[in-house]
Amino acid sequence: MRAVLLLALLPFCNAVAHEMTPTYPTFMKSFMAGVSVTTLNLFNKRKDVSYYEIGVFTDEWEPVPFVSQYTIIPMKYLDTLSFDVYVSNLSLSSVEYICSVSQVQAGATVSSKICSRIK
Amino acid sequence: MKKLLMVCVLLAPHTPAYAEDTNISGSVQTRCLITTDTNGVFGNPLPSKLSTLAADGGVAPVVRYDVTLADAYLAKITTPTTFSSSPTLTDSVTWTGSTAVSKTSDAGMSVYETAKVTYGSTTQFDLTIAGSTWFSSEAAAVYGVSKSFSGGNYTAIVLAECIAK
Repeated sequence: MRAVLLLALLPFCNAVAHEMTPTYPTFMKSFMAGVSVTTLNLFNKRKDVSYYEIGVFTDEWEPVPFVSQYTIIPMKYLDTLSFDVYVSNLSLSSVEYICSVSQVQAGATVSSKICSRIK
Repeated sequence: MKKLLMVCVLLAPHTPAYAEDTNISGSVQTRCLITTDTNGVFGNPLPSKLSTLAADGGVAPVVRYDVTLADAYLAKITTPTTFSSSPTLTDSVTWTGSTAVSKTSDAGMSVYETAKVTYGSTTQFDLTIAGSTWFSSEAAAVYGVSKSFSGGNYTAIVLAECIAK
């Protein structure tokens, strides 16, 4: 019997969109000594994605330690969420990018990543 | 009679009209939105090859970038280098891929294609003009040396990034 090869590469799904603002966030002093905080907003317009991972990076794309309400954010379709990112003042000068990356599940084949830049 | 009516009018309870303002607020911010425009499908022109090329029976996926501020973002699109899910493969898979501008909302965006930078499987575009840009990616996978892909579902991930400058 001839083997049936099912071709099911779907690099893109319908209506893949996600958005993170502001593009240029700024850090402010937080309620904790030695820690600064910034707030970002995430909008999920992807039916095929339910989680986004947050990361903070240097200009060389090295990870920077940070704390947030979520490292992986659960988001339903058309949800908007604000989240805080806390970074130690010792690491603050090395922070260059804050990124959100979609966590693709089985069936989804596009991963979208948006990075805001600290100015 | 008139006096009686006047008294009744003056004594009638006056109900003031209440009005309340309901605010609708929002803000306009610089933003980058990544949207899928066209689903991609692999064609199987040879038993050992999966390809999105139209000539191979595939469909090239298309991604749209919408930016609201000129010269504020870089678009990076990375074509697959591995399957995210597939049947068990016993040999190596050779991947090739490329990304190009397929459509733009501004004629000036034609420079994106000539100025793009490619490194490995990643193509980088400098989004110097605000508006919408469509990028089309091609990807092909060849199994071993003329080995046949076994039956089953094959899925690969394309990474579309929007990096603030």
